[in-house]
Amino acid sequence: MSNDQAKQGKADKSRRGFLKAATAGTAAATLGAVTLDSKDANAANFDAEYDVVVCGGGGAGLPAALFSRWLGNKVAVYEKAATLGGTSFKAAYWYWVPNNAAMQKAGIPDSKEHFLKYVARLTQPQYFDPNHPRYGLSEWEYSMCEAIYDSSWIGTELLSEKGALPYRHVAPVPDYFAEMETIGATGRVLFPKDGAPSMSDGGQVATRTLSTACRRDGVTVRTSHRVQKVILNDKGEVIGVEVKNDDGVMRVKARKAVIFATGGFTHDPELRKNFLSIPVYGGCAAMTNEGDFVRISSTLGVQLRNMNYAWMCPISFEKAIAKDPSMIGCFSVAGDSMVFVDKTGKRVVNEKLHYNELAQKFFEWDGANAQFPYLILTSIWDQRAQDNSASHEYGRLIVPPGSDDRHVIKGATLEELAANIDARLQKYAGQNGAMRISADYVQNLKATIKRFNEFAKNGKDLDFHRGERGVDLLFNGNVKEEPNRKNPTMWPLSDQGPYYAAFVTGGTLDTKGGPKTNPEGQVLDIEDKPIPGLYGVGNCVASASGRAYWAGGGTLGPIIGFAYRAANAAHKEPVRS
Amino acid sequence: MTLRTIAAGVLVAALCAAAPLRAADDLAAAKQLVIRQCSQCHTFEKGEKHGQGPNLFGLIGREAAAVNGFVFSDGMKEAVKGKVWDTALLDQWLTDTLSVAPKAQMIYFQDDEKVRAKLLRYLESLE
Repeated sequence: MSNDQAKQGKADKSRRGFLKAATAGTAAATLGAVTLDSKDANAANFDAEYDVVVCGGGGAGLPAALFSRWLGNKVAVYEKAATLGGTSFKAAYWYWVPNNAAMQKAGIPDSKEHFLKYVARLTQPQYFDPNHPRYGLSEWEYSMCEAIYDSSWIGTELLSEKGALPYRHVAPVPDYFAEMETIGATGRVLFPKDGAPSMSDGGQVATRTLSTACRRDGVTVRTSHRVQKVILNDKGEVIGVEVKNDDGVMRVKARKAVIFATGGFTHDPELRKNFLSIPVYGGCAAMTNEGDFVRISSTLGVQLRNMNYAWMCPISFEKAIAKDPSMIGCFSVAGDSMVFVDKTGKRVVNEKLHYNELAQKFFEWDGANAQFPYLILTSIWDQRAQDNSASHEYGRLIVPPGSDDRHVIKGATLEELAANIDARLQKYAGQNGAMRISADYVQNLKATIKRFNEFAKNGKDLDFHRGERGVDLLFNGNVKEEPNRKNPTMWPLSDQGPYYAAFVTGGTLDTKGGPKTNPEGQVLDIEDKPIPGLYGVGNCVASASGRAYWAGGGTLGPIIGFAYRAANAAHKEPVRS
Repeated sequence: MTLRTIAAGVLVAALCAAAPLRAADDLAAAKQLVIRQCSQCHTFEKGEKHGQGPNLFGLIGREAAAVNGFVFSDGMKEAVKGKVWDTALLDQWLTDTLSVAPKAQMIYFQDDEKVRAKLLRYLESLE
């Protein structure tokens, strides 16, 4: 037998269905790339063949698959989890679309210049210059942000016209910094049409409509299939992927392109520790978001960008430690008669600051004492807040009776509550740096509440300005109606128990770093040249937003634009045989 | 008793013993699959807290969309009103949840009969 024949025999074995992996589904996958020489790269060596292969069936992958399919391509989606939707399934699924068609129809002006100044100011506050041709953004950042403005609304309209994601325009929702220097806007937020009035369940609705459209329009969808390697030909072009499922490993040919949409690295502690600038305990991303594309692309000479930042949100410390897959970020910190205090019983932050910015507070460094003094704060509320502000929505810590309240600590008096908080802290000694409450905690807590109650009575938070910005009110959640109240985010805490508490820390919705792409979603090599046939969209690739969270839906709106552009560019790729 | 009948007896005993062993192996494999595919949202032990989806202990024979402490969507409640989970309904559900409840929160479809059989094997054992 010649060498060639031997090689062919080996290849035949692999194409006959699946390579039986004895430990399929249990052992850690080997992620990376494999290069086939020209003989092995022929069609006979693949188990399935498509024009475009999309890796990941979430908020980026499903739109990318649909856009590709609607251009006439044969398309498959391989999703690692058993269900579709990824992180976006758990999201409220607001999507932020500048100059969207609803704004255009309603005559709400939203110029490109206006948009670019806003994102530049928030993305690079230290370099922002309204007179600079790119307002202080780098060329790459500027071109990516232009792409968002140019394409998100077009992709959004197409998804809506095809019935894959009909939306309603939520005109009154402001950008998170709408009031800023006249460059913010109102009217950019869209929401899945059949979602609840409270706008919390858009992810379920969108996953349903997008996945239904995929199946209706002939996209092959495979769940519980993890893409673990890209396959290159001897010219360095990406021609397929290696996919693992419960039965083993198979090879899938991509005649035109592979589009990665596999999410960030929230659930890979090693990547988190080595890339994020902050010690997060975890986050709300789908549990399958383990940085697969960072590892797979590492062998391809890509440029990792924006690895240090994440889309941030306060989260329940205890749920994060328990790796509770159902955990949702505290987008809306519930309660008016409620405060956050540190381990000394003192308030340190405006509790109603919107989520991405509130989450930064937990990572403030105390240099003199070499510690993160606010890494875990405690939310404390009274019976009134419990009765009027409990909710299942938006990851609130105040939950209705009968629901999972293992994260809630109770006490008949403040003294009892403090003792129970301290006891609960000790359960986590190995995870919280042996944190304890201070000796003067109860005394401080009483003084804190007394001062807060004065602020609440007068409607003015002299320490942290709670409730002064429109966005504070947007996320206030349910509170008891009080006629003539000046500031609905505050009400005095009762001097009578019972009292309730929960630990809060900062977490990731998901990370926002990964390989750098161009505005067409093409993954770039170290010389800034596209790796032929390789695309990336969503949280698995580098976001040009730096640390910024521009607005509600600032993740998903841009993603739809990039999915649209990637699908169009992939469609034009030469067919690789 | 001849040597042959003793041998046959041993063989029969071995076969009898092997059957439950195989069943236990199947169940363990089925459990592993269910944990891998479903535990993002569901819990399975008696008395365990609900996750994003309800606890599934005692699912078979239970009224659909009616579990203490879990809030089902209106879409789910309307679609399965009056139904009880049995093998046929559960199999249909796992084949395509949206074919049972077009507005269900759970979006899962599994066209591989063998995989569904494994999932059913474990879910039916939870009683």
